[in-house]
Amino acid sequence: MNPRPPPAVATLLEVRELAFARRDEPVFGPLDFDLESGEIGLVEGDNGSGKTTLLRILAGLLHASSGTVRVDGLAAGDPAAAGTALLLGHQLGLKADLSVRENLATAAGLYGRRERCGLDDTLVEVGLEGYADVPVRQLSAGQKKRAALARLRLLPARLWLLDEPFANLDRAGIALVNRLLDVQVASGGAALVTTHGAVSFRDQATRRIALS
Amino acid sequence: MSAPSARTGYVTILRRDLLLAWRRRGEAAFPVLYALIVATLFPFALGPEGALLARIAAGVVLVTVLLAMLLALDGLFRPDVEDGSLEQLLLAPQPLGLLLAAKILAHWLTTALPLLLASPLLAAMLHLPVAVLPVLLVALALATPLMSLLGALVVALTVGTRRSGMLLALMLLPLMVPVVIFAAGAVSAAQQGLPFIAPLAWLGAALVLALVLAPAACAAALRIALDA
Amino acid sequence: MNVHSSPTLWNRLVLWYHQMGSPPYFYAFAGRWRPWFIAATLITAAIGLYGGLLLAPPDYQQGDAYRIIFIHVPCAWMSLFTYAFMAGCGLVGLVWRVKLAEILAMEAAPIGAAFTFVTLVTGSLWGKPMWGAWWTWDARLTSELVLLFLYLGVIGLYHAFEDTRQGARAAAFLALIGVVNLPIVHYSVVWWNTLHQGTTVQLFGPSRITWSMLWPLLTMALSTHLYLGWSLLGRARVALLELEGGKDWARAIALKEASRG
Repeated sequence: MNPRPPPAVATLLEVRELAFARRDEPVFGPLDFDLESGEIGLVEGDNGSGKTTLLRILAGLLHASSGTVRVDGLAAGDPAAAGTALLLGHQLGLKADLSVRENLATAAGLYGRRERCGLDDTLVEVGLEGYADVPVRQLSAGQKKRAALARLRLLPARLWLLDEPFANLDRAGIALVNRLLDVQVASGGAALVTTHGAVSFRDQATRRIALS
Repeated sequence: MSAPSARTGYVTILRRDLLLAWRRRGEAAFPVLYALIVATLFPFALGPEGALLARIAAGVVLVTVLLAMLLALDGLFRPDVEDGSLEQLLLAPQPLGLLLAAKILAHWLTTALPLLLASPLLAAMLHLPVAVLPVLLVALALATPLMSLLGALVVALTVGTRRSGMLLALMLLPLMVPVVIFAAGAVSAAQQGLPFIAPLAWLGAALVLALVLAPAACAAALRIALDA
Repeated sequence: MNVHSSPTLWNRLVLWYHQMGSPPYFYAFAGRWRPWFIAATLITAAIGLYGGLLLAPPDYQQGDAYRIIFIHVPCAWMSLFTYAFMAGCGLVGLVWRVKLAEILAMEAAPIGAAFTFVTLVTGSLWGKPMWGAWWTWDARLTSELVLLFLYLGVIGLYHAFEDTRQGARAAAFLALIGVVNLPIVHYSVVWWNTLHQGTTVQLFGPSRITWSMLWPLLTMALSTHLYLGWSLLGRARVALLELEGGKDWARAIALKEASRG
């Protein structure tokens, strides 16, 4: 069983004249860029430059002030496009009272996946072997991040929106993120990654988007 | 990507929320305890005279149960907003209304059901005639899901704010007035030996309507309240 | 559709709608019209009160006590009218994300709450001689009380948000829920009233009103509408300046005001 769609070059993300203003103060924009399957986009900018905001707009959680976003040809926030994009934010979306396994089973259930399929292998892959039944509240910050990264591996999303995926991770963790990105790209997906530049990001990025 | 069935998402969220409630099962007792305390205070305030208490018993139980539910309402979405899991619900390839319906059902099962089970005790403390108790229970069984659904709608609007407490009560009161009127009206009609089916039927109709509309409205409210 | 039979009028309306959506245009428009609104308010109020308090005959049952209806009834009408206006603007703001509609909806809320409050106070003042009590759970008064809570909920929700526009949209949604809820509240309160106390004294029977009472009442109703216009335009102007404080047109106005004062 192949968990991912076959690679085919397609424009997964199409951003046109996208601008955002909070209380009429411009935050960023207008931005124009595309992201095709097999590409990794790097969003660079200082603190407060609107990186998180940009990802939330692309995910369809937030309305832009102007401009358009199309995810896989559909407007962001369109119910038909739901599930195409996966957002990994600062808040990892993990329930502290549930175990790693229960958290991932919930995430898989939301995407209509069988919870058992590949869960143990995935945990080995993200370096959480033996932690499956540990409540998330007992994990370290880096381990929580790894648990959230396991979601990327389990869910069938073609577009990843990763907000500071390297934060809280050690050297091995950074390598893990890079490995996950490689797999995503190889299977015809795409990813948009934000970083404030503190972590040296391996030269995978095929596109750079700078927020001033 | 195979289209995930909507039922899987519904069951997943229902199971997750019940599991979470089970991990913190001590907290389920708080609303019941609150209702018990309030019901105990009434005889102290009004005197222990049985006839007077019997006359107000149904109304006191109803209002107490609804207030206890109000206390628990803030916990419906706030933890999910704080740990980011609500975002995951919004982005999942599932109808958001259905996922919210699962959350609301779980919330009803963990907060209102214990209150419903405790209400015969409250009614007995206030000398409600035993013959009327079934009517009160039916009224509560219809009014509490309505409270959960309407409460979820209102609490969804406040998730973007830092605290809601008093505001929640203020926003919910106008919505609850008809529910209280019909639920208490049914019991008081039964107590006077009058027909009580009509108000219960109205409540039932309102519940059906709320079951259909409230989750979708709740989804719209959440999207508005999180759009920042 | 009626609209297509007169395209020029329709086009002008559309143009006007779009112009009104532009904050500087609205700001200037509101500034131009406000004096006219307050002048018309005062004139109609003077005529209405003169007609109501001096010209209209005393009621054969209530004597002069009934004259409070010249305040009470227009305010009660306005409490509902303002709510409908707020919900309508809220709907436009929610669907088309028009900033000005959001502002108008949110600035109408305190005015509507004030009308509701005046209705409740005058109703209770009137109730004292009529029922011998300051408050009666009369169906209309009770519905007005619930309406006041609705208004306060909308205002409270609006201010609970840090982001004004987000707060306006959430509160507009609450106002729309209230539109559905208000008739239900009213009919359930009427039902509750008949269940518990039979018929109460009717505050205002339409049959008993004569022309000499009706025209001052209608004049007062006109006056309260004009007052709403005056108050709303002023509040919206201030809110608009606050929201658009960083923009050039708002800065230009601030500089002009500073040099004048």
